Amino acid sequence: MNNQSQVLESFVKRILTNLDETDPQKLAQFLPLVNPTGCKIIVNSTPFAQPTAFLEVWQSSVVQTQHVLTAVDYHVIPGTGTLICNINGKVRFDESGKDKMGQDAVIRTDNMGAGSAPAAKHRPLWGSYYGVSLQIVIDERIFNNDFNCVVSSFNYTMVYKPEDSLMTL
Amino acid sequence: MNSGFQHTQNLGFIAQQAAIQSRVKVGVRGWQNATRQDLVNFVSRKTRIAITDSQVQGDMVVGFVNNQQDADSLINWNGVRFAGNALKFEIINDNGAGGNTGTSNTITLLKSFLFKRYNAQTKMMDLGNLRNDPDLVTNGLFSSTSTQSKMFPAMMKLASKEPQLIVESINLSNNNLRDVNMISSIAQTFPNLKNLCLANNQISKFRSLEVWKGKFKHLRELLMMNNPVTTDPLYRTEMLRLFPKLVILDNVLIRDENKLQQLYSIPMKIQQFFFESNELGQSSTDFVTNFLNLWDTNRVQLMGLYSPQSQFSISVDSSVPSSSVSNSDQNPTFSFYLPLSRNLTKVSSEKTKQQRLAMGQEAIDKLFSSLPKSKHYLQEQPSNYSLEAWSYPQVQGFIITLHGFFEEVDKPEIDANKGTSSTSGGRHRRFNHGHNNNSLNKLSRRSFDRTWIIVPNQGNVIIASDLFTIRPYADGSWIEPQQPTSIQQTATALTGVGNIPPSMGVQQPGVSPQGLVQQGLSQPGLQQPGIQQSNGQMNLQPGNLAPPAGQLQLPPEVQAKLNPHQQELLNKLHIETKLNAEYTYMLAEQSGWNYEIAIKGFQESMNNIPRQAFI
Repeated sequence: MNNQSQVLESFVKRILTNLDETDPQKLAQFLPLVNPTGCKIIVNSTPFAQPTAFLEVWQSSVVQTQHVLTAVDYHVIPGTGTLICNINGKVRFDESGKDKMGQDAVIRTDNMGAGSAPAAKHRPLWGSYYGVSLQIVIDERIFNNDFNCVVSSFNYTMVYKPEDSLMTL
Repeated sequence: MNSGFQHTQNLGFIAQQAAIQSRVKVGVRGWQNATRQDLVNFVSRKTRIAITDSQVQGDMVVGFVNNQQDADSLINWNGVRFAGNALKFEIINDNGAGGNTGTSNTITLLKSFLFKRYNAQTKMMDLGNLRNDPDLVTNGLFSSTSTQSKMFPAMMKLASKEPQLIVESINLSNNNLRDVNMISSIAQTFPNLKNLCLANNQISKFRSLEVWKGKFKHLRELLMMNNPVTTDPLYRTEMLRLFPKLVILDNVLIRDENKLQQLYSIPMKIQQFFFESNELGQSSTDFVTNFLNLWDTNRVQLMGLYSPQSQFSISVDSSVPSSSVSNSDQNPTFSFYLPLSRNLTKVSSEKTKQQRLAMGQEAIDKLFSSLPKSKHYLQEQPSNYSLEAWSYPQVQGFIITLHGFFEEVDKPEIDANKGTSSTSGGRHRRFNHGHNNNSLNKLSRRSFDRTWIIVPNQGNVIIASDLFTIRPYADGSWIEPQQPTSIQQTATALTGVGNIPPSMGVQQPGVSPQGLVQQGLSQPGLQQPGIQQSNGQMNLQPGNLAPPAGQLQLPPEVQAKLNPHQQELLNKLHIETKLNAEYTYMLAEQSGWNYEIAIKGFQESMNNIPRQAFI
């Protein structure tokens, strides 16, 4: 019981690290953590009917991210087998103009050589941090190291934005 | 040859004029025991500053020094002894015949020049071929390199002070520019510039453009034809690197705009509210409003909402937002909150984590009293708050999360720093070493995220859990920017590949500026201020496609105080009632910003409203 909060903190970190992955396979590891049918996912006030739908958008239409955890607090709600976790953090985006697969928007010309397109592994160009507020409802089972489908609510909101970012929100 | 000779003569004349323009009028008192000449000689000997054209005016000697710097250092000599008296120097700012008139003339001249070269419809500032502009030439503003280099930054500075100049495109072709040093300040004045033409200049090195790296984040089109730099094999690559959102370079498409759009946008567009159902929307708004009202006025009264199993805790997120976050608090202190914070990433002791979780009314009440007294502005400034509410089936209730800010209005009833509980008794003395309590405990504005779990219970509600994050103030991401970012009209400036309006065209360098300024803002002095503001006004409301006639036009200072809902209400009322801006505003204000009440009030008193109240 004593290390409840440590288990929780590392679980939250695991979720955010998952979202920061660029490899679709690693990114997909997010799915087993959430309840596939009953999970409410709300991102910036946009609801997603299915976790897979959210993950697909996140993978294909959001560039690489980097999350930092700055605050975590939680309450176990008696009699429900669940707990609510209130999280604050920061996120920054790869503003190099390349997507998670390393594709950019540049139109290739003959003399640039089409073969020179996505190089080996590109280095992200991080922009300034956005503020994140995240509320998740999790099953108490995580304290027994059971992480299967434990997340039943996921409310992710970017609460402040840097003016010097190239991203539009 | 002849013209060259004349040019040098001109230079001498301009230098002289410039010297006269920059000189500053000064006065000296306390010199009575000597002659004027003695005084001037003394000052020049002592301070190495020459006072010219001096004359006696009353008890003062008045004259001129070369520039502001000399004038300032002269002031430092105040009190120097001369002929048995202490001298007193002063700078005389008379706008009559003094040296300042030259400057203010120049300002007026440049300002009217800017308006003459600005086209409000295309949002374009045409600064092409400046050296052949008759106005600038006759006033000698573009004839020597030194005046040239000063004139451009001055022009930009003036432009930045004119809110009605909404510039999306700038033409700087045919200006003999060798680099962009002289014009680099455009990046500060118009950071959101979309189109830039530098064609027909002498720019030959990339390095000169490097000052713009990381600036011009919205630059979409760049024209650099007929500059030596364009022949460089790395030209295209370098331009791609310097301007991340550049789509068209010299009439050639270089980036896929759709892909670019996708790369730099987050598909989940931020919205102020999310409610899983409509009724949840109403009830959660009511709950939050009532809760915060009591929270600000009388926290004890909230106790009825908590049960013996209810939990409350606060968590301090002390991470300082990036300085580029608008209005962010870069120097926050949290001394009232830190001893109570249950931020698990910062608190390591299990015992402390337990202690800082308040369960049951008594503990919650005590924690409430330990937090500074506050004021939320939910009703006054609703746009500063964002709310999500969704169901929580496991408790047969729902979750409400509110993001926003509050103002601390007073110290908490119980000061957690004073160590009242036995566990921390005596600790404060040790920790207070060298503490400046005043600066650490200053009251300020905070941002917060607060999450309640609400369980309906016999016609009432119970708060099962209340999680409160306090963080440094920062403007909410959902707040619409105030600066003009009108998107729908961009297309008119420079659309598509190769479709350049003649004014920006390379072939027509010296397009007559008069031709461009038929509509809108030509001469500031000739137009009524109301009309000028209206032009700026229209663009302050992005996304509003209503025709200009139906659009309400308010002075910017009034506009700035309105939130989007109020603006929308005003527009609706305006269209409905045909009242002018002033009366529409009065009507809205008197009705407490309620549309129904306003319309009813309008219908009731329609016959008593004076005719001039209508448009």
